[in-house]
Amino acid sequence: MRVGVLGGGGFGRGLAAAAARAKNEVTLWSRSARELPAGVESTGELAALGGCDVIFLAVPSGYVESLSTELGRHLDGSHVLVHVSRGLVGPQLGTLSQLLRRTTPCRRVGALAGPLIAEALASGAPSGAVVGTRFQEVAGLVRDAIASDGLRLYESADIVGVEVSSALVGLLALAVGYGRGLGAGPASLSVVLTRGLAEARRLLPTLGGQADTLNGLAGFGDMLAVAAGDARPEVRLGEALAAGQSVEEAGRVAGAYIEGLTIGRRVAAHAERAHVDVPVARAMAQVIAGELAGEAAVRALMARHAGRE
Amino acid sequence: MLEKLNPLRVYSERPLRLPRLRPFVPRPTDPPVYYFNAERDDIVRDVIARVVDQHAADRPRLELALNDAAYHEIRRLSRQGDIEAKEHLGFFKGLARRLARMSEADKREALRHIVTRYAEDVAGNFDPRVYDLSRHVMPRLITGVMRPSRLPVELLPSSPGSTRAVDELLRIEGAVEKLRRLEKTGTLVYVPTHSSNLDSIVLGHALEQAGLSPAIYGAGKNLFTNPIISFFMHNLGAYRVDRRIAARVYKDVLKTYSQVMLERGYHSLFFPGGTRSRSNLLEHRLKLGLAGSAVQAFSHNRVRGVDRNLYFVPVTINYELVLEGETLIEDWLKSEGKARYIIEDDEFSRLDRWVAFFRKIVGLAGACVIRFGDPVDPFGNPVDDEGCSLAPGGRPIDVGSYVKRQGQAVEDAQRDAAYTRDLGEVLVRRYREETVLMATSLVAHVLYRRLVRETMGFDLFHRLRHRGEVSLARERLHAEVGALRDRLRGLEDAGKVRVNHDIRERSPADIVDRALTVWNGYHRRTAARDEGSDVTAEDPTLLLYYQNRLVPFAERVAGQEDLAAAREIAALEIRGAT
Repeated sequence: MRVGVLGGGGFGRGLAAAAARAKNEVTLWSRSARELPAGVESTGELAALGGCDVIFLAVPSGYVESLSTELGRHLDGSHVLVHVSRGLVGPQLGTLSQLLRRTTPCRRVGALAGPLIAEALASGAPSGAVVGTRFQEVAGLVRDAIASDGLRLYESADIVGVEVSSALVGLLALAVGYGRGLGAGPASLSVVLTRGLAEARRLLPTLGGQADTLNGLAGFGDMLAVAAGDARPEVRLGEALAAGQSVEEAGRVAGAYIEGLTIGRRVAAHAERAHVDVPVARAMAQVIAGELAGEAAVRALMARHAGRE
Repeated sequence: MLEKLNPLRVYSERPLRLPRLRPFVPRPTDPPVYYFNAERDDIVRDVIARVVDQHAADRPRLELALNDAAYHEIRRLSRQGDIEAKEHLGFFKGLARRLARMSEADKREALRHIVTRYAEDVAGNFDPRVYDLSRHVMPRLITGVMRPSRLPVELLPSSPGSTRAVDELLRIEGAVEKLRRLEKTGTLVYVPTHSSNLDSIVLGHALEQAGLSPAIYGAGKNLFTNPIISFFMHNLGAYRVDRRIAARVYKDVLKTYSQVMLERGYHSLFFPGGTRSRSNLLEHRLKLGLAGSAVQAFSHNRVRGVDRNLYFVPVTINYELVLEGETLIEDWLKSEGKARYIIEDDEFSRLDRWVAFFRKIVGLAGACVIRFGDPVDPFGNPVDDEGCSLAPGGRPIDVGSYVKRQGQAVEDAQRDAAYTRDLGEVLVRRYREETVLMATSLVAHVLYRRLVRETMGFDLFHRLRHRGEVSLARERLHAEVGALRDRLRGLEDAGKVRVNHDIRERSPADIVDRALTVWNGYHRRTAARDEGSDVTAEDPTLLLYYQNRLVPFAERVAGQEDLAAAREIAALEIRGAT
């Protein structure tokens, strides 16, 4: 099978290595030439991906729209697109798979999510992920493209649930980073995460996902990786904010993770419309906007009336 | 004990057809449905064979289908206790008893028996003579109800230049010319919004007026209980859907029937909302069974090398006044969204309400607007004037690529079901863009929004009890209606919604007067009361009903001071929200 990868970052190269290991023809598109895994062909032309059966998009969510629009000019209804980005788009909190369907002629789309890290993909170390897709054939193709003895791929028909879970865990990771930066210990962080999951559970149905999807690798699984201390950009951003850096400085620390700077506010606004209470998201939105800082944020959360779990 | 049989009931259960002395030979230029009677038996055979083969392929599935049918049919027929029960209850009771001892061949035969009866019951009939009759007589009869004094004139053959009252009432707009072109080379699937039982009649008339071929559609069996309507329905290509039958294999028969008809190029019509919108909210959760059969028809044809295209046509049917409005919204509130599926005692079945309704809307030019949206292919892509699918950006693409796997067209029911869900999302978006907002929606929205503003923090039911408590000064109301109209026009320019012709240029005072005139005198309750210098939100429930068409746009058309209320209104539509 011919596999395309869009994005030459760590994740993109990891996916390319996994696909090459599964004995596929692999083409990787990247803006800049980099060292590539063995057996991977490099290209600077998006048109070159038109010859692939499955194309993985491994770019930060903020770049998906412009790149997919450009890529879409070389595709038709037979191509399969799978993204690995974490994020929700616009005030309506649209998912990236919805964006792909809007900007390309492709309908057979999927989202790869879960506690998957670039190094494990590249080395083949044991790990797992979930493919969210309404199309069973897409899940099958993703397995053919990258699965191996070291990589277990589960399947979920609730693609929206997978994408929203993944994005909301990103927001929780920000909260964890922030809490850690303030010196909170495991017990305090576990309260934040548990209550954060409860609000994610309330939010999911209002965005068209199923609450149960949160129990899978895209939600709970990914959150355990955060709790266990993987160093993802969201956590680093939270830590930088806690250290008193401005949003701009903190954003530079976290690299391309721009999504996290606005998602809190957008989630809080949506939750208000949907009559759902989201104290953790609201607090993070206020922290990022500079309306709330340090101890005050903790107090704001702790002063709330504790109801039934 | 034998129930006394109502002769009308018997007629309506059995299709009544006109006798034919000479065989009917359609002309090549006739629309596909003219060929239907010649193909009918073949179609029914095809449907039976497919459904039986689907189930007979594996043993547990066959047994499940029979058990399921026996269980549901015994329940239904015992409850009905009518002539149908008399004929068939025995069969199902016997089946339930014997099932465990039956041979595979016997089981298959039993299934064939059940499926045959269902398929024969579902399949319609098309009589061009009845089509012509209804085409000429129906609008005149409707007009006659509205203006009895004009009845003699209306019944005369129409002279050129004369417009019938019904044509003044009805405005047809949208992609009519494109559809006329596409229906020659492709199959059209009309998927309208659904507010009233008048919809299929009105839409049938609109197709004829627009010079489009008739479309076949499934009509609820409850509509067939009226022998006159039943006669027309039967002979105009409608197929019967009996919602009381819960057997799973019956649903398979319906879907397969629809699929076979579409494969053969019969233009079709179904309401993806499944039932009339109880709340008058635009459809946002679709029942996609029949849409799925259309997607499957497309891939089935492609695999066999038949390249006939299939287009979905989103249609909005917009009423200034809804015949059954009061009953529908009450039903929505009563069951908090869980609709009774069949309402048999609403305004549609009451002649006096019909007369009152048509009397009311007579003279209200454009009281009903049918808007034919731009067609899309089965995968939600727009198509050009020749029917070629367009990718985002307008590049033509091969629509066949969607059913290909590694270069080969293949059938895959799971894939097609997934495509159908995606298509459903496109249709929901298109309904919003193609909906035509009427004076009643605008005025109701302003009044209801004010009520929400004054009752913030209340739940819906509490709010609706505030009858006649909120008033707006006339000038204030005019100013808000004017501002709302202008913002909606802004959205219209951006292609997000449509505003009815009438209110585009009118003064806000005229819009308010029009809405008050339309409401008062038809609905048994007063929606809004005109008190000279003030207008009072008299019946919040009716106002809610009429303003619900505006819900998707509420936040975008609200001024700063109304934003909180608009958010509250927008929540009416968010899935899973309380």
